[in-house]
Amino acid sequence: MSKLTEIRWHGRGGQGAVTSAEVMGLSAIEEGKFAQAFPSFGPERRGAPVLAFNRISDSEHIRMRSAVTQPDIVVVLDPGLLGIIDVTRGLKEGGVLIINSSKSLLDIKSEFEGPWTLAVVDATAIAMEVLKIPIVNTAMLGAMVKVTGVVKLESLAEPLGERFGKLAEKNIAACRRAYDEVSIAAQGAVSQRPEKTFGEVTWPSWQELLPGGVVTDAGNARSYRTGDWRSDRPIWDHDRCIKCGVCMLFCPEGCVEQNEQGYFEANYYYCKGCGICARECWTQAITMVEEAKA
Amino acid sequence: METLALYVPRLLEKKENFAPGHRACSGCGEALAVRMVMKALGKNVIVVMATGCMEIISTQLPYTSWEVPWIHTLFENTAAVASGVVAGREALTRKGKASSRTKVVAMAGDGATADIGVQALSGALERGHDFTYICFDNEAYMNTGIQRSSATPFGAATTTQPVGKISMGQNTWKKDMPAIAVAHNIPYVATASPSYPFDLMNKVKKARDIEGPAYLHILSVCPTGWRTPSDLSVRIGRLAVETGVFPLYEVENGKYTLNIDPPQLRSVEDYLKLQGRFKHLTPEMIKEIQEKVEAKYAELVEKVLFYDGF
Amino acid sequence: MKRVGLESSLAIAEAVRLAGVDVVSAYPITPQTHIIERIAQMVADGDLNASYIPVESEHSAMSGCLGAAAMGVRTFTATAGQGLELMHEVLPVASAMRLPVVMAICNRALSSPLSIWGDHSDIMAARDSGWVQMFAENGQQAFDLTLCAFRIAEDVEVLLPTAINIDGFHLSHVIESVLIPEQGEVDKFLPELPRPYVLDPRKPLTMGDFATPELYIEAKKSQDVALRNSKKVILQAWQEFEGVFGRRYSPVETYRADGASVLLLTMGSFSEVAMEAIDRLRESGEKVGLIRLRLWRPFPFEEFRQVASQADLLVVLDRAVSFGGPGPVCSEVQAALYPLSKKPQVAGFIGGLGGRDITTEGFEDMIRNARKKADAGRLGEVEIIGVRE
Repeated sequence: MSKLTEIRWHGRGGQGAVTSAEVMGLSAIEEGKFAQAFPSFGPERRGAPVLAFNRISDSEHIRMRSAVTQPDIVVVLDPGLLGIIDVTRGLKEGGVLIINSSKSLLDIKSEFEGPWTLAVVDATAIAMEVLKIPIVNTAMLGAMVKVTGVVKLESLAEPLGERFGKLAEKNIAACRRAYDEVSIAAQGAVSQRPEKTFGEVTWPSWQELLPGGVVTDAGNARSYRTGDWRSDRPIWDHDRCIKCGVCMLFCPEGCVEQNEQGYFEANYYYCKGCGICARECWTQAITMVEEAKA
Repeated sequence: METLALYVPRLLEKKENFAPGHRACSGCGEALAVRMVMKALGKNVIVVMATGCMEIISTQLPYTSWEVPWIHTLFENTAAVASGVVAGREALTRKGKASSRTKVVAMAGDGATADIGVQALSGALERGHDFTYICFDNEAYMNTGIQRSSATPFGAATTTQPVGKISMGQNTWKKDMPAIAVAHNIPYVATASPSYPFDLMNKVKKARDIEGPAYLHILSVCPTGWRTPSDLSVRIGRLAVETGVFPLYEVENGKYTLNIDPPQLRSVEDYLKLQGRFKHLTPEMIKEIQEKVEAKYAELVEKVLFYDGF
Repeated sequence: MKRVGLESSLAIAEAVRLAGVDVVSAYPITPQTHIIERIAQMVADGDLNASYIPVESEHSAMSGCLGAAAMGVRTFTATAGQGLELMHEVLPVASAMRLPVVMAICNRALSSPLSIWGDHSDIMAARDSGWVQMFAENGQQAFDLTLCAFRIAEDVEVLLPTAINIDGFHLSHVIESVLIPEQGEVDKFLPELPRPYVLDPRKPLTMGDFATPELYIEAKKSQDVALRNSKKVILQAWQEFEGVFGRRYSPVETYRADGASVLLLTMGSFSEVAMEAIDRLRESGEKVGLIRLRLWRPFPFEEFRQVASQADLLVVLDRAVSFGGPGPVCSEVQAALYPLSKKPQVAGFIGGLGGRDITTEGFEDMIRNARKKADAGRLGEVEIIGVRE
């Protein structure tokens, strides 16, 4: 039986995780391998955590179509996901974990070391320099190819050209830079990470559903956290704030609230970091700060 | 120009009847519009919603963002279900079991309104049910991934009318849904935008308080489908009004009023250039759009002046 | 109670009036129009205090019923053939949302060629919509079952939409004598039942939500169990009906089936013609009997097996074609019989399509034909009968 490599990509809706998986799959097929690329088939919106997957086999058509639960390789496109999702869940012993982060390998190691090869690359910095936008999917492809060798770097060129057209050259450049810059740590012994559970949902049984699936607890979506989607957070400068409330007025989440002093603040449990409040503020009292630096 | 009072917090209804924890895209102009609509409507309403973004993002079992009774059945039948809810309310009122003041409000996107649901809507408006219908127009089928609708504007790139070697995106002009509503001789038709919150909320209240069918058409900026940065949703909505692309007006028993009438319209380019869906437009196409916008705007002004003459 | 001469369509309208229906949302289509015209007249005369929504399509007719039923009021519509097809998308939503709409279907053939006449193609295409489905054979049953439908649909243990099938023209347009009860008797049988989940601003709830793969199958299981369990309430309702009105209904009804080695199975108004054929064959000494399937959904497995398993040969008449497959009723009864160790052979026939008549002789021929096939070991394929060669 031919070796099957399973890959899980972690990103956010609109960040290009699905494109990463597509390009990876097509590159493998380009090399004469057999591959699958697929998203998690959900209704996730822009900003929400999403998954994409690959299966790659050297010599055989892949029949497995169920979800990838024990990946060989995990790639994390958005550093903001590290604190809200268990990215190493199911990762096989001897596997590979590749993280986009501005932190050093040493810092990342202290948290994510485990019985797998750990690699880190500052793909956001590369993307900002090369592409001028924080879309890191092509850079992460480069890093991932370097660390895993699952396909050759050259094989990415054609699918990237197909996918990005005029922008292909820049994306290939980002890909190459990440290939060169990724830092890799040898496989660790055991995971140092404390056991964490991340917002596990308990689903009702069929007997617990009310007739017709009605929901009688009006507004219970309030218990659903959308703050996880945020990559930037609004910060209010009270010296500039005139307490007008325009920020509250224009918030699509309705999560800007007035405190006892009359100032406004976002409820970060919901805030998705869209930046409308900062854009609309009359006195520019609000700035959007990258979540990782907040 | 609508003057934003400095004391917005005092004016704004605090209660969020459209609860946070909904899963709309970051910067969703439609979720913002729904939030404002729900503030204006208050609690004594029943919402009937079509399939679409707002349904998907607000009612994923076992959660709901709705603080008022809410029902969704299908895509194209929103106005028909609303007709039934109104009839049911009437029946209960006859028996003294419900208040005739409970307003039934149907909500649907532009696809559910101008395309697949236009028959049911026309039927319900013609029959004269006491309900308010609100179209949240984001100018394409965004829920399924930016496919064109009859409300998609000329020149916009969508996934089913894409820009290609021999195509420049949408090759038809946006269907004029408010005009179709007006043609049903209903008491109240209005356009609104969440970029003008108090105008929007006043119109919602007006529609709610009128007996008989009312139609509201709300332009809802979609950062995902329009390919715009999420923080620009309110600004782009404002530009749509300032350029005359989406004028804010009311038609009360046939009488037209322009609510926001800028002394001079801005160039449509100011609106178009911020949006990725228009980035392929040639100067000729922009000129064509400019002319069309001006002509439609002049038509509207003429209607307003005609009634002013009385 | 008084005996009157009444067209079956009007008998149904009368049942709707006596049931005090609150909302009717309907669209005209032949051969159903007489029902809704009569109801519209009742509303216009003030004889029925209901809101009548004259919608612009059948899709909207059912959608209007959904909205009204969600408010917790008694709701009725009627349709036929293409109208049921246009409604098709809405039907499973009514059952999944547990909205107890009652509908009369004047069964009609499907286009093309266009035919306004009767057969069961419309309801068979809606078989899997999750509705309680029953068949009437005459005007009295059309009236009775309509009353029962409200009692069943609105029971808090059921909360499922319910359809009464009457054959287009053959039943819908025939005047015969019908016993019409007094309002007081109907009220006794059909009290206003409490509705737990309705649209009410004082108790807001969300209906018709969106389910990911983690919950959809649970929702479907719950719906299927509800439909299966509805049989208990159906049996109870028919028992109560007998108590008040003296007429008895059962999920599977028989005629001279005792000791029969050959059983014919029919649904709808042709059953009474088939009874005539059974009488004649019995007179000539043949051990034949009749099964009339009253309840089509939930399928009455136990009752059907009990009756059918005694025979050697079951002859099934389908009035719809499942193109390229067996007749829809035939495949269903075969599946129900399959697990039994002692079971009859099954001969499937399709006939009476698009208003084509089947006479007493036709049924006699069918039974003889089935016997011949069984004797020759040629029962495999379904046969369309009464076709001009």
